[in-house]
Amino acid sequence: MSDKSRTVLDLKGLLCPMPVVKLALAMKTIPVGAIIEATASDPGVVADIPAWARSSGNELVTLDKVADKEFRFVVKRLK
Amino acid sequence: MSDMVETALGVFERQLGRPLEAALEVCARCGVCAEACHYFQAEPTVENTPVARGEALRRVYRAEHDFLGRIAPWWVGAERLDEASLTRLAETAFSRCTLCRRCTFNCPLGVDTPLMMRAVRAMATAAGVAPEILVMLADAAIEKGRSPEIFRDLFIEQMTDLEPELRQVTGNPQARLSVERPGARVLYVALAGVHTILPPAIIFTAAGEDWTLSLFEAANYGVFLADPGRAKQIAARIVDEAKGLGVEEVVLAECGHAYAALRWEAPTWFGGSFPFRVVSLVEKIDTYLTQGRLNLDPRAVRERVTYHDSCNMARSGGVIEEPRRVLRAIAPDFVEMTPNRHEALCCGGGGGLVALPEYEDLRLRAGKPKADQVRRTGARTVVAACENCRLQLGDLNRHYGLEVEISAVADLVVRAMRPADLNEEAVSVRAEAIAA
Ligand code: SF4
Ligand code: SF4
Repeated sequence: MSDKSRTVLDLKGLLCPMPVVKLALAMKTIPVGAIIEATASDPGVVADIPAWARSSGNELVTLDKVADKEFRFVVKRLK
Repeated sequence: MSDMVETALGVFERQLGRPLEAALEVCARCGVCAEACHYFQAEPTVENTPVARGEALRRVYRAEHDFLGRIAPWWVGAERLDEASLTRLAETAFSRCTLCRRCTFNCPLGVDTPLMMRAVRAMATAAGVAPEILVMLADAAIEKGRSPEIFRDLFIEQMTDLEPELRQVTGNPQARLSVERPGARVLYVALAGVHTILPPAIIFTAAGEDWTLSLFEAANYGVFLADPGRAKQIAARIVDEAKGLGVEEVVLAECGHAYAALRWEAPTWFGGSFPFRVVSLVEKIDTYLTQGRLNLDPRAVRERVTYHDSCNMARSGGVIEEPRRVLRAIAPDFVEMTPNRHEALCCGGGGGLVALPEYEDLRLRAGKPKADQVRRTGARTVVAACENCRLQLGDLNRHYGLEVEISAVADLVVRAMRPADLNEEAVSVRAEAIAA
């Protein structure tokens, strides 16, 4: 996958509501169909990101806890 | 007239009632409010006065409701709303007014400029020119209420993962971090972040409270949009949850607008009073202290500490002495900022501003009076009982090189807990938990 279709975002250390804000801003910079892979440290993202994806009409591809205080998720821009 | 303008004017007309009409009609143009506003204090220009902000909406009001405004608009300073002026008004209401209400408290006629700015925010939201991010955050919160199944299990799993830490810190092997536990006396509503979950969990456990955690967060971005429809849907998640669980009390995280909204505004959205009390975590901690349910070291916080009154907690919410009583109980070198309490200066982060990166530069400039105030206290720790304020104070700290720590009330209380309440061996774990 080319760089243009996959953006990596580090949201670690950010507190509510900044992970969602930064993700939404980054989403605007990528083309429809492209994905963002993000890492965050706050467990709040497990609730915020799925709800944001659904309400904004984007796709949450995966969301996993990969380590203590580390969550990784992949979202795809659909519109 | 475009659809956008027609929608905005429709919202404006529907909001017209005694309070808004009074604000639109009684201003004496004395200018006393100017000095009350932190934007004006930071940059003393005409456009930074509350009266100028109100005047922008008054021009529209005169064009619609003043006979002379229709036939000789230039004579009475009337201006028909169009898309350009609506966009300008919206920009002012969302970026140059934090709805802090300090001008209203200082106006000899009590002119409610923030009410006018809320009217503009409502018009802008309905017309589709409100900041996208606030709309997005409000809609995501509403979605959480509609589809809790998309995150419930994973969220509960994360909370269960925090229990060993809670047990180790409190030394209480029975300590639990339950979510939506039926039969609990208290429903605690945190923010989306473990920093607002673990310290209160430690305090509730130490105080022997019968509590459970809400699935939702206290923040309500519908309030910043001045959109009662969205605000009510966001609040309804908590109201329904509390009713369903049958709790006696809803305790809200240290979050100013969430408190002012759920405690004072929301009952009117739902047509009356709630079958539960709504209190802030700070009030709850103060009550525990009065009841002797927390054993705190009165000298625990040795550095100089000051308290920033969140506008929503103090001016709008009336929570003023509670945090001070708590801080005086643990910090011998507690000092006040000047002015404080009802007269406190806004930090510049309210009204949803901290969530809007497009206005960051303006927000930091408008926060300069607060930064100067903090510096004058000589404090090393600044406590605020509001997440928006803490985020703004953190930014001011970095931007103006204040070299202070920003803390919530609950964080300092956990720091001051004595071994009877806390497992002494777990101090490092506790520190890490608070920092996380
Ligand atoms: S202090 Fe009140 S009356 Fe005087 S200009 Fe300001 S809003 Fe108008
Ligand atoms: S509410 Fe606060 S920010 Fe808004 S005009 Fe009045 S003093 Fe200024």
